[in-house]
Amino acid sequence: MLVLSALILMACGGGNGTTPGKKIALLLPDTPTALQTRAYFEDLVTQVCPNCQVLYNAATTDAEQQTQAASAISSGASVMVLDPVHGATASTIVAQAKAANIPVVSYDRMVLNTPNLSYFVSFDTGAAGGLMAGSLVTALGSKVKPTVVEINGDPADGNTKTFKDGALSAINGKFTPARQYDTPGGTAANAKAEMERALADLKFRIDGVLAANDKLAGGAIAAMKGNVRPWPPVTGQGADLAAIQRIVTGDQYMTLYMSSKAEAEAAAQIAYDLAFGITLPASMSGGKTVNNGNADVPSVLLTPVVVTKANVEATVVADGFWSADDICTTQFISACAEAGIA
Amino acid sequence: MAGTAPEEAIDLTAAPEAVQAELPPGVVAQSLGEYVRAYLARIRAGESGVLPVIAAMFAIMIVFTAISPNHVFLSPVNLVNLFQQAAVFMVLAMAEGFALVLGEIDLSVGFVGAIGAAITVQLVQPVTTNWNWVPAILAGLLACTVFGLIQGVLITRLRLPSFIVTLAGYLIANGIFLKILLLGPFSGYPNLAGFSNNLQVVYNLMWGTIDPTVSWILAAVVVVGFDALMWWGDSRRRRSGLVAPPVGLTVAKMVLVAVVAVVVVLICNANRANLGTLEGVPWVIPIVLAILGAWTVLLQRTKYGRYMYAIGGNAEAARRAGINVALIRTVAFGLCSFTAGVAMLLYASLLGGMSNNVGGGQYVLYAVAAAVIGGTSLFGGRGKPLHGVLGGLVIAGIYNGLYLQGISDVEWQYIITGLVLLAAVIIDAVSRRGASSGSVTRA
Repeated sequence: MLVLSALILMACGGGNGTTPGKKIALLLPDTPTALQTRAYFEDLVTQVCPNCQVLYNAATTDAEQQTQAASAISSGASVMVLDPVHGATASTIVAQAKAANIPVVSYDRMVLNTPNLSYFVSFDTGAAGGLMAGSLVTALGSKVKPTVVEINGDPADGNTKTFKDGALSAINGKFTPARQYDTPGGTAANAKAEMERALADLKFRIDGVLAANDKLAGGAIAAMKGNVRPWPPVTGQGADLAAIQRIVTGDQYMTLYMSSKAEAEAAAQIAYDLAFGITLPASMSGGKTVNNGNADVPSVLLTPVVVTKANVEATVVADGFWSADDICTTQFISACAEAGIA
Repeated sequence: MAGTAPEEAIDLTAAPEAVQAELPPGVVAQSLGEYVRAYLARIRAGESGVLPVIAAMFAIMIVFTAISPNHVFLSPVNLVNLFQQAAVFMVLAMAEGFALVLGEIDLSVGFVGAIGAAITVQLVQPVTTNWNWVPAILAGLLACTVFGLIQGVLITRLRLPSFIVTLAGYLIANGIFLKILLLGPFSGYPNLAGFSNNLQVVYNLMWGTIDPTVSWILAAVVVVGFDALMWWGDSRRRRSGLVAPPVGLTVAKMVLVAVVAVVVVLICNANRANLGTLEGVPWVIPIVLAILGAWTVLLQRTKYGRYMYAIGGNAEAARRAGINVALIRTVAFGLCSFTAGVAMLLYASLLGGMSNNVGGGQYVLYAVAAAVIGGTSLFGGRGKPLHGVLGGLVIAGIYNGLYLQGISDVEWQYIITGLVLLAAVIIDAVSRRGASSGSVTRA
């Protein structure tokens, strides 16, 4: 009996003797992209530390995530990467991890009001507005006094103001939006209604649409279909499948792609470093911090990638974010061929 | 519950053993040996008591310990987690127990409790009302109780089915709960993070721990107090020549309580942190024990409790015996909602705040499941607060064990919990039939 348990112990704790394995917890909200994030994350962890183990779980409610976090802590996680189901209540999870001396990386979305976060990994949302407005300026070229309609997200959403500020600085006086709307609920239906109003006001003459995300862009495009000529450039954000398809056909000019691969890999690298007590290189965060209501959290903020018809293949398809099969369904086959997507 | 008349007649040919099985073994037995024989007879007759749930607990423990990575299921840190997670189920199941003992159901417990918790969490916010934690908690529990009493009045005075009244209550409470969350400058998410003493106390209901030495002293006080009461009670009965359990049984129960207390304190006092220190009994354990104790005394040692069982067993007979059935039932719905308030207050503490994410509907199902798994009958007249505690531990154990496997697929949690519930209901129904010699049909 003793010999048997000794054998089991050796089999469990042995590994190949090079790097000791550690456990890294990855806790995500249960969304359609969660499994893909997990795959990217695990791939990088396996590369840098073959003996490490990722304790993955996904939750639909904050209470469930709490339970999962407690399980990760009792399973001996050395570090926790947490995309909170709920930014406010997740501070309790961070407090529990802190009590067990486990560093926590806030992933994609910020855990609010806690002094105990080690890092924040996400996208630079401030840059997003600027990137979108900048690429619209490029698309408008030398047009004098273009008529631009600006469609923002829900006024209650914190990102809406960030987007507007970023866009304003990139527009830099090159044009003044002819109409500006804040979209209640950020729904496509409301965006469509807003664009219908704008079309009537502006006598169907529109040179460009600065839509804050792909959903809003979809609503605006639906309103303009068959009513506006020549077709104006429309911006978007999120790299939604429908938006990528619209880009392929030319209905939408661009979208912003927040590469979940780059984000997951950045988080995995940081988690590995924290687990093994490696000091993170200063270049990682570049001294940037984001305030979460309680503390300035050292932050790794990735820059989103502008996707137009020219680089759909090189970005979202190459990353496996959308496959060519996803994009090029029957009605898009010829457009795909033109755009060189296969 | 439409029992058809001819079959209600008492089966006179029932074996004497079955009659014996109807009586608690503590009443008929004169010695420990006799007690064991009487107990076995009861089990054979289908009166298995808490035995199935204890067996389920052991099964869960053995299976998950065997398959959890590095056998962490039985580690102190996980067991304490498990208890914290189970506490909400346990108290909510004790709440539901009040309805179940009457043969009724209360579907509103999740959101009614959430109303109370939301009120408390809102009231202690330092930037708005900044109430002291004592009145804040009392205000929350009072709101729950009032809600429950109103439901009780509708059910008893207007003779409406509890299923429908509490279904309406569930919806209304859900709406009121969301409205309360939206008050104040918290974007709908008042939380308990912060440096105010009142916030800290509410947060610590779940997360606070008692110093290890104090834990031992408290455990000793509880065990000595409990044992002394039990010994005193039983010996008083013996002196007065009343039926009393054999001395051996009293001593065995006293020893069992002491052993459980020592094991729990040993587990909680182990250091649970990876680095540093995290030890001591969490506050929530004495809180749950206090509720268990209070409701056990109320149901099993007072007139009110006896009336509850009488009404649950046969409301018409109880009415003819002169019991104020409507009053007792109304109060029971009030107590049910009050206890639900305590449960969801613990939930808010576990979560560190209140969000609109509360699965109020799911929690009701777990509360009913926990009570029934623990041994409370769905048909009324039978059930103890202890059943809710044991059943809550089983449900939380299933969840905790699956999470340790990294199985987040809710599908499996639903399936396994559903199967356990089904097993419990089958045991309940079969034991009913056994106890009444198969002569009573139940709708």
